[in-house]
Amino acid sequence: MSLFNEQLTVGESLRLHGISRRGFIKFCTAAASAMALPPWMGAAMAEQLHQAPRPSVVYLSFQECTGCFESLTRSFAPTIESLIFNVISLDYDDTLMAAAGDAAEAALTKAMKDNFGKYVLVIDGSVPTGAGGAYCTSGGRSAVDTLREAAKGAAAIVCVGTCSAFGGIPFADPNPTSAWPVTAIVGDKPIINVSGCPPIPEVITGTLLQFVSTGQVPDLDEHRRPKAFFGNTIHDRCYRRPFYDEGKFAKSFDDEGARNGWCLYELGCKGPTTYNACATIKWNGGTSFPIESGHGCLGCSEPGFWDKGSFYAAQSSAEWGKGGAPSPRRVLEVGGAAVAAGAVLGVASAGVSRLRQHRSEQNTADRDKKEG
Amino acid sequence: MSRLTEIPIRIEPAARSEASAVVGGLGGGVAAILCELVTLLERLVKGESPGAIDLRSLPMSPLDRAELQRVLGEGEVQATVNAQGLSKMRETRVSGVWWVEHFDQQGELIAELIEVSRVPEILSSASDEIAAGARALRAQIAMAAVPPAPQGSHVPLQ
Repeated sequence: MSLFNEQLTVGESLRLHGISRRGFIKFCTAAASAMALPPWMGAAMAEQLHQAPRPSVVYLSFQECTGCFESLTRSFAPTIESLIFNVISLDYDDTLMAAAGDAAEAALTKAMKDNFGKYVLVIDGSVPTGAGGAYCTSGGRSAVDTLREAAKGAAAIVCVGTCSAFGGIPFADPNPTSAWPVTAIVGDKPIINVSGCPPIPEVITGTLLQFVSTGQVPDLDEHRRPKAFFGNTIHDRCYRRPFYDEGKFAKSFDDEGARNGWCLYELGCKGPTTYNACATIKWNGGTSFPIESGHGCLGCSEPGFWDKGSFYAAQSSAEWGKGGAPSPRRVLEVGGAAVAAGAVLGVASAGVSRLRQHRSEQNTADRDKKEG
Repeated sequence: MSRLTEIPIRIEPAARSEASAVVGGLGGGVAAILCELVTLLERLVKGESPGAIDLRSLPMSPLDRAELQRVLGEGEVQATVNAQGLSKMRETRVSGVWWVEHFDQQGELIAELIEVSRVPEILSSASDEIAAGARALRAQIAMAAVPPAPQGSHVPLQ
């Protein structure tokens, strides 16, 4: 079963759904603008996609809460989301598809066989490996086996959400199910991490669109996140940043500083160490983002965000520039042998760019100067 | 506090750095955009491909924006496209320079750019859609039981 007719080109499919080429050019222009791509890329993307067959996308959900998928589908910009579903051929998604049981599993097998080497594999949720993978099974197969099988024919893997990207909450101490991110299981495919708990809907659709229109993995940071969205910290782009620079801080959630909209750093805001696009793309159709609503950033798009202590404790400036915890990594087991224990955390500092270090030192110096 | 609107928000004008010092009465950012437009226009005249500047990617203050609008002014042509929300475009006083705004179906601005082209990309009809239109018309004519002209031939004059 396919959710859509897979024989159509993107252009034909759009026309069937009453979306003109103009509407599509506009969609691509807006997407290119959101992704900070050169403006001519929008028209070029539209041109290229319009004549191409819709790329097959397989969406697998593992140890997750479906919040990421809710984010993707309950966007305030339904036209963008409906367009992305017309642009791609969503061949398997256990949340959306009408089929169930054997028919659903047959759809997955067929999509993987027919599009071997070409489909985009989207993974939502971490992969539990404890008890032989028994903590997460579907259709009699464990998540870890399904992932290994599905990864073989994938052109690329897009990890949607912090769980599939970095392990997320299931990976948090004490990690009772021995959960791992996708990068720990699959080592030989291009992997794009779209982290966040959940990620911003436009960041998910934008990343998918960029990949299917160019066939290229976008520029990634050291945590394999697209730089177009994860290139700046929340703090760097925060509209409250001038208050930080002036040393004006809210000290509690109901004091004068909070009412005046001052910086939430002392109330535990993790903006300085969190790389995401919340401050620019914002949420709910551009309405606002947590800091604009008066709450500090939780740092949900960073590895290990759940294990970094209280959300309400001010960060030490010593943490700045470390880019949060390292991405969880482990040695890939050979020959599909049982999952070996031994959490091998990646080298923390290796991936830290000079730019960040410099920025951090600068920030720390500025702060010390102010405090001094 | 009872209302969100009671939270005071103050927007202070950005201090102009030395680098963006006023050039001929224009802010440095505006002057840079104008220079880029000149380059794009000269390319277009030479027959090279059209260009565009994404206004949302530039950190422009409301003051810069007003200044840019003032310098470019209003031209002769205004057009509105209704496709997945409105798109508004108007030629500026500088021929070939179009100010283009795309809105979504909720009326939110989703993209704003200055295009340098003979006609904005989104305005011209696409070949495949023209062909589809011809097919649809032909089908409609057939439905109305009017024998259509044979494809690729002229109807002979009496």
